[in-house]
Amino acid sequence: MPSTKMAPAPFSLPASPLINMATATSGTTSVRFAHAPPPFRAVCALPLTKMAPRPPHRRHFVGAEFPSPQLPGSKMALASVLRAELAEFSPNFPKNFPKNFPKNFPEDFPDDSEGIPEILRDPPGPPRVLAAPPWGFEAEPEGPGLQILHGTTTLAFKTPHGVTVAVDSRATAGSYIASQSVRKVLPIGGRMLGTMAGGAADCAFWQRLVARQCRVQELRNKEPVSVAAASKLLANLVYQYKGLGLSLGTMLCGWDKRGPGLYYVDSEGQRVAGAAFAVGSGSSYAYGVLDRGLAAAARSEEAACELARRAIAQAAHRDAYSGGCVRVMHVGPEGWREVSHHDIAELQEKYLE
Amino acid sequence: MSILACNGGAVLAMRGRGCVAIAADRRFGIQAQTVSTDCQRIFPMGQRLLLGLAGLATDVQSVAQRLKFRLNLYELKEGRQIKPQTFMSMVSNLLYERRFGPYYAEPVIAGLDPVSLEPFICSLDLIGCPMVTQDFVLSGTCSEQMYGMCESLWEPDMEPEHLFETISQAMLNAVDRDAISGMGVVVHVIEKDKITTRTLKARMD
Repeated sequence: MPSTKMAPAPFSLPASPLINMATATSGTTSVRFAHAPPPFRAVCALPLTKMAPRPPHRRHFVGAEFPSPQLPGSKMALASVLRAELAEFSPNFPKNFPKNFPKNFPEDFPDDSEGIPEILRDPPGPPRVLAAPPWGFEAEPEGPGLQILHGTTTLAFKTPHGVTVAVDSRATAGSYIASQSVRKVLPIGGRMLGTMAGGAADCAFWQRLVARQCRVQELRNKEPVSVAAASKLLANLVYQYKGLGLSLGTMLCGWDKRGPGLYYVDSEGQRVAGAAFAVGSGSSYAYGVLDRGLAAAARSEEAACELARRAIAQAAHRDAYSGGCVRVMHVGPEGWREVSHHDIAELQEKYLE
Repeated sequence: MSILACNGGAVLAMRGRGCVAIAADRRFGIQAQTVSTDCQRIFPMGQRLLLGLAGLATDVQSVAQRLKFRLNLYELKEGRQIKPQTFMSMVSNLLYERRFGPYYAEPVIAGLDPVSLEPFICSLDLIGCPMVTQDFVLSGTCSEQMYGMCESLWEPDMEPEHLFETISQAMLNAVDRDAISGMGVVVHVIEKDKITTRTLKARMD
């Protein structure tokens, strides 16, 4: 009997240092396995030859050809992520330790990554960590691999009135501040917003593409496109380029017939729904303020906007790569609008006394 | 990341008419994270002599403390205040002793000669090469930004008040273009009879 809902597979989420997720307590979080087989007619019917650079050919995995849920290229998924030599899963270790366990683990461990296409494997180098170490970041290996946490702080959270979005506006090149007035929120149609974290060019290009596709769908179906569909479009688009070095950590915020919608989509292929997210190098500091005030913010739109402003201001203070000004936007049933735009230096005079 | 850019920081000194000014930012961070906003980078080394150090925070403190030790011995032996030029040689020697495993700190010296009250500024690199100039010296992670500001704003023979305004503007605007410096600026203006210390309010992001 075909079931559309798979039982959650015992896998570990691919390491994505672009986000520390605040999963909602209200249970709206749903985690989709990024490698789910696409339907026969893919959702993104966009002719890639015309609009976007052609990605290298990828096999579509169907049925038994699924790659195993391990991180491709790793010996033991969780162990490699946690940088342990050997992950101890059994409570009876080492009594149950198999006698024929290879002495030179991990070299001798059977490696099935040969069956996985080159393009889907982890880039070579030290394993990625799930969360940033508390005292700064190590230098990332050069190459088309993932770049950890770009200089920005963006956040969004759902309230009964809609979705409140706040972003900073600093762009850095190394430690040089290239700009203090970057627009990190991109409108997608009149009813949705996409935040920008990661590579600015990547975010701008792909969100514009998604905006175009959403408009086309709106015209065809005579109904505004849902946030879930738009985020799925974006996720599927960037998944084709997985491993090639795109850097995108965006939150799609909108209001559709199901109410407020908030999805986090990144260039690793993650697409997660939730009630509150903060993305970027300053996200940890923003979470500290955000988590504290989420319950109170549900009371009114002004309280929500003020909370968002404070969270960004705190992140800008502590994080070197966030700053400039705070832009707070709100997406409600009638569409999105910009609520306020404050210089962080003025805000901090008010808050940090 | 470069070792000198691990903690961030910037120091700037300017020469005026019968006075010198030295300024430093106040951020102490560990790469992206700001740990505190009251870091001391300028250390008094004599009655009219200040030493500013930019670079790795631990070496900034170590160099300042070792230098103070040597300076105390000097003053006890000589029975007088040290001249800025001599102090510069002392710093240079201390840094070159560690030629093959250097202190990651780049000093800036600003002071008045104890006898003639002639203004003196100089900077050294991390292994002790001294450079004496007549206009301004600087070191830190936003050195390019500071050079740009100083070249535009500095003019010769500035009075103490004008010098204070100039060095403040140069410092504030330079650190606003650097992610790992800032969080406040402290400025010392050394004149023949007093040292005026002011803390500037700056962007705290």
